[in-house]
Amino acid sequence: MKNISLISLPLLLIISCSDGLNFGKMDSKSNDGRKENAFESTYMPMDSQPVLFRSANIYDGLGQEFLNYDLLIADGKIIEMGSSLSQPGIEVIDASNKWITPGIIDIHSHMGVYSAPSVTTSSDGNEATAPVTAEVWAEHSVWTQDPQFALALKGGVTSFHVLPGSANLFGGRGATFKNISQNTIQAMKFPNAPHSLKMACGENPKRVYGNRRQSPSTRMGNMAGYRSAWIDAIDYKEGMDESDADKHPKRDLALDTLMGVLEGEILIQNHCYRAEEMAMMIEMSKEFGYKITTFHHAVEAYKIADLLADEGICAAMWADWWGFKHEAYDMVQANIAIIDQARNGTGCAIVHSDDEVGIQHLNQEASKAMSAGNRAGFKISKAHAMRWITSNPAKAAGILDQTGSIEPGKDADVVLWSGNPFSVYTRAEKVFIDGAIAFDIYDPKIQPVTDFDLGIIKPQTIRVQ
Amino acid sequence: MKNFLLSLFILASIQIVADSILIKGGMVHTGTGERAQLQDILITGKVITDIGNNLVIDGNTQVIEVNGLPVTPGLISPMSNIGIVEINALDVTRDDESELLKSGFSIFNAFNPHSTGIPWNRSNGVTSAISSPSASSFPLFGLGSHFILDGSIDIQGSKDIAMFGRIGSSYGSRAENLSILESLLVLGQQSKQMPVEEVLEMRLADKLELQSQDIIALAQVVNGKLPFVLETNRAVDILQAIALQKKYDLNLILASVEEAPLVIAQLKASNIPVIIDPMDNIPDSFDELGSSLELGKILDNAGIKVMFSTQRSHNYHLMRQGSGNAVAYGMSYESAIRGMSKSVAETFGLVKRGSIEKGNFADIVIWDADPLEPSSFPKLVLINGQTQDLTSRSSKLTERYMNKDNKPSSYKH
Repeated sequence: MKNISLISLPLLLIISCSDGLNFGKMDSKSNDGRKENAFESTYMPMDSQPVLFRSANIYDGLGQEFLNYDLLIADGKIIEMGSSLSQPGIEVIDASNKWITPGIIDIHSHMGVYSAPSVTTSSDGNEATAPVTAEVWAEHSVWTQDPQFALALKGGVTSFHVLPGSANLFGGRGATFKNISQNTIQAMKFPNAPHSLKMACGENPKRVYGNRRQSPSTRMGNMAGYRSAWIDAIDYKEGMDESDADKHPKRDLALDTLMGVLEGEILIQNHCYRAEEMAMMIEMSKEFGYKITTFHHAVEAYKIADLLADEGICAAMWADWWGFKHEAYDMVQANIAIIDQARNGTGCAIVHSDDEVGIQHLNQEASKAMSAGNRAGFKISKAHAMRWITSNPAKAAGILDQTGSIEPGKDADVVLWSGNPFSVYTRAEKVFIDGAIAFDIYDPKIQPVTDFDLGIIKPQTIRVQ
Repeated sequence: MKNFLLSLFILASIQIVADSILIKGGMVHTGTGERAQLQDILITGKVITDIGNNLVIDGNTQVIEVNGLPVTPGLISPMSNIGIVEINALDVTRDDESELLKSGFSIFNAFNPHSTGIPWNRSNGVTSAISSPSASSFPLFGLGSHFILDGSIDIQGSKDIAMFGRIGSSYGSRAENLSILESLLVLGQQSKQMPVEEVLEMRLADKLELQSQDIIALAQVVNGKLPFVLETNRAVDILQAIALQKKYDLNLILASVEEAPLVIAQLKASNIPVIIDPMDNIPDSFDELGSSLELGKILDNAGIKVMFSTQRSHNYHLMRQGSGNAVAYGMSYESAIRGMSKSVAETFGLVKRGSIEKGNFADIVIWDADPLEPSSFPKLVLINGQTQDLTSRSSKLTERYMNKDNKPSSYKH
């Protein structure tokens, strides 16, 4: 056996889903003292004061740029963008020659479930004990003191979707978080965000279970495994749809999750590299009547770009990762741009990280993908490419109504950058989450330090000054 | 006079036929650490023959007008698997590990000049690379070699130019690991005074199942002959490595060194060069708690020679993005360029490579924008004065799927 480093092979560990706050049919039965929406968000924004950004350059996250504009945020929301705004008595930040964007969103993170340091005791992202584990929820693995949250915040990340890994056909539910470390998981959960269900195609599930001489050991075994589970889910749903509650089947956590997908309340986040496998997953979604929200990694998405655009499915991709496994061999750097431009620009392209370093530099990854697209012949502007790390991942996480763009009424999740965010030399200077300053490059008091970071090298200091 | 002026766009598709080439008006980063300046570079055959302004050229010189674009030496990856790993998760495509050999494991004969990683990294500005064995549970993994990435079946390389190893957290105690490493160095020392066969009969050599290749390689490491790249992170391990360097007169290079800022004075005094991944600020183990994005700046400010690696398999060119981030966090720009070129050549004894200086081989890249911006890309790559084709498997796939002809993709070629 060769040693395969986890670093060069992150996908061995990966894949997850989203968590649904709504149990659908379960709710109506829950009138006997049981809690209806168990594990729902208890997130409360930090205290904030109104802020007026003066003379900023703004990418709104929807494809527009506004040069030398003012932006007003108050009560945790974006209030107004315009010229010469004024509001007496509030804090004014001179943003001239700087840029403002929506908070960056990562649709594929394992922070908290594969925390740092990456030791066996923190390896909580793959319940690799059976190929179908739709019953597990990634959020139940999250370690709130993971030092990676704060590092991502310094890269402008205000929200992220935590997925289980990709060892299993159905890895479990994923959940979305606001990037403010708290001592309970529920206090970090993004309010009213849907759960996802992580599914995985290809090499990982067939390798994990094939090595144990159990199914699936082939790609056809993968397909049979998913389809059998959906048949059970339809059966379960029919039982739960009975008007007579006495006829309902016994509650089953895994089938609750699958039923949530069939009812459109839980979004499918599907790890899938190869074109023909993505096409098969689409066909299967039609066979059983559900919708795929996003294909993740999708190294071969460019081969079926029009199909994805026609089906309204997003693809979340890296700018340039390849070669770590066979299904990641056909990398093209224009992948993200090709998805974006499919069917007259109606495609939904996302730059994701799946990586604790990459999440800190999603702006740079978008920059690489944009320039590769333009070298291939497209004409993609920076304002347009900004969608790949803001509104498009917000859409894929089901939170676009709340964040992901600079529009009045949305959560004031915004980043003030030292310069243009598509440059390697630009850094996030200030990050606001729900209008509250969560990170300030010039103020150590506004730089989060987890319990882990405290006194761990020398008792008097924090981990990294 | 028959000087031809060629646009860089045309150059990508044709071979230069002239005896000499003048790269005119580039913003030249020589790789020596000097500030960039607008100047011309004259290349005759394989070699850089002159640098300056208003260079005198003869009639058979091809002139490439660069109009102020950045020009750098071809980048050199100091630590890669180029040519020896095709797909990481497929053992049958990997030649980076040995079951039998340890310190004497050489990957040189495994190098595949047709590996898809070569044109890909070359088209991204990497003109040569050191490929090395991958980490094993033993403190020494074996010997790395340097390869010119022109893809020629006549492989141009320098065999077994450095030893690679690691100390730090391990299955047993790091103390045991250090002790084994030191014992190996002692064996290397002893092999200078007695036949290899006798060294092999010594208890430790026997216990560790060492082979003659292992002993021969160890002999080259002690007393400073062979560069020795030792990966380590924890501050106190860095001090242990410095102590070994002094005791055994090692030509030591430290890699990773995420906690170097905690022992920066000692590291500076040791004069040991380092290879870092400036983007890796994750406290990924209990050896790396001091990890930060300021590593490059702190090392550079101390005057330590810094080179760059990247965690991303197959994309060794991403050392550009890494060094760009190091500059964003305070490293000097010219040190960053030097770290991808001359510093590597100097450290590993790569003769006449790594910088744009008179007499060196013409490994040169002309960039469409600032090479430390990850969005930039080479316009022209020269290796040994020869224009390189920037086609890669990736660019062929792009071409195929950008083609909207209504036929199966398998007929689009």
